[in-house]
Amino acid sequence: MTNSTPLTEALFYILLAVKTPNHGYGIIQDISDMTGGRVVLGPGTLYGAINSMLTKGWIRLYSEDKESRKKKEYLLTSLGREVFLNEVDRLKELIKNAGKMDEQGA
Amino acid sequence: MLKFKLFYDKDAEEDWLKEMSLNGWAFKKFFLGVYTFEPCEPGEYNYQIDLLDNWNGNKDDYARFMEDMGVEVISQWWRWVYLRKKAADGPFEMYTDAQSKIAHYTKIMKFFQIALVLEIVCFIIELMAVIKTGDVFFGILTGVIGIIALALLKIVWKCKWKIDQLKREENV
Repeated sequence: MTNSTPLTEALFYILLAVKTPNHGYGIIQDISDMTGGRVVLGPGTLYGAINSMLTKGWIRLYSEDKESRKKKEYLLTSLGREVFLNEVDRLKELIKNAGKMDEQGA
Repeated sequence: MLKFKLFYDKDAEEDWLKEMSLNGWAFKKFFLGVYTFEPCEPGEYNYQIDLLDNWNGNKDDYARFMEDMGVEVISQWWRWVYLRKKAADGPFEMYTDAQSKIAHYTKIMKFFQIALVLEIVCFIIELMAVIKTGDVFFGILTGVIGIIALALLKIVWKCKWKIDQLKREENV
């Protein structure tokens, strides 16, 4: 089992934002754009989430150029993709079942 | 400008630093309760205080990560770091969701719990010295340690209250 509990909104969007190599500030920007400014991650929240996902192997370091002090970039791993898709399946199930609310009410 | 102040509540400390910035004083350095300020545009910076995971390990990585976010690590006191961001670059809040806030306050609570245990041990040792010798000096020392222990107890309790509050909001 890769993930038994639902993903937090922060983790869900970070996984999405590192589908292609992305750095910290880029991740915050992309998530803000995707959600129309609703989800703007704090730097501490992002730092903690990235480190925990690196440890779990959901994302990996894509580049770290120490010489030029280039920004670290992160990339989704196949395990991370699996976790994400499992969550999408769970969300689809929620949406499918949500339709039952209307059936009952009619 | 130098100011001496003792805080045991980092949220109150952040508010005070913001207030100083609004009055045109930018915080620069902290050492043993002494805060160094330099003139700035009123309200130029926002401040946050964070607690690092360990005493030495990840500091450079952390500082560089924050730098990329437009956040400057301006002073460090043991595991505590002082961060600032230009107000013009947007709002500044380190932890934005319930999960990371809970993790943050849990870390702070554990930090003060250890301090509290040490303080209680010191208190008991001093108290025994007072009982044995009846010395006034030991008596005063015991009183001071007792007050510090109560302050630590208060902050541990406050952290716990915040964590419970966040958990209730999130239904976790």
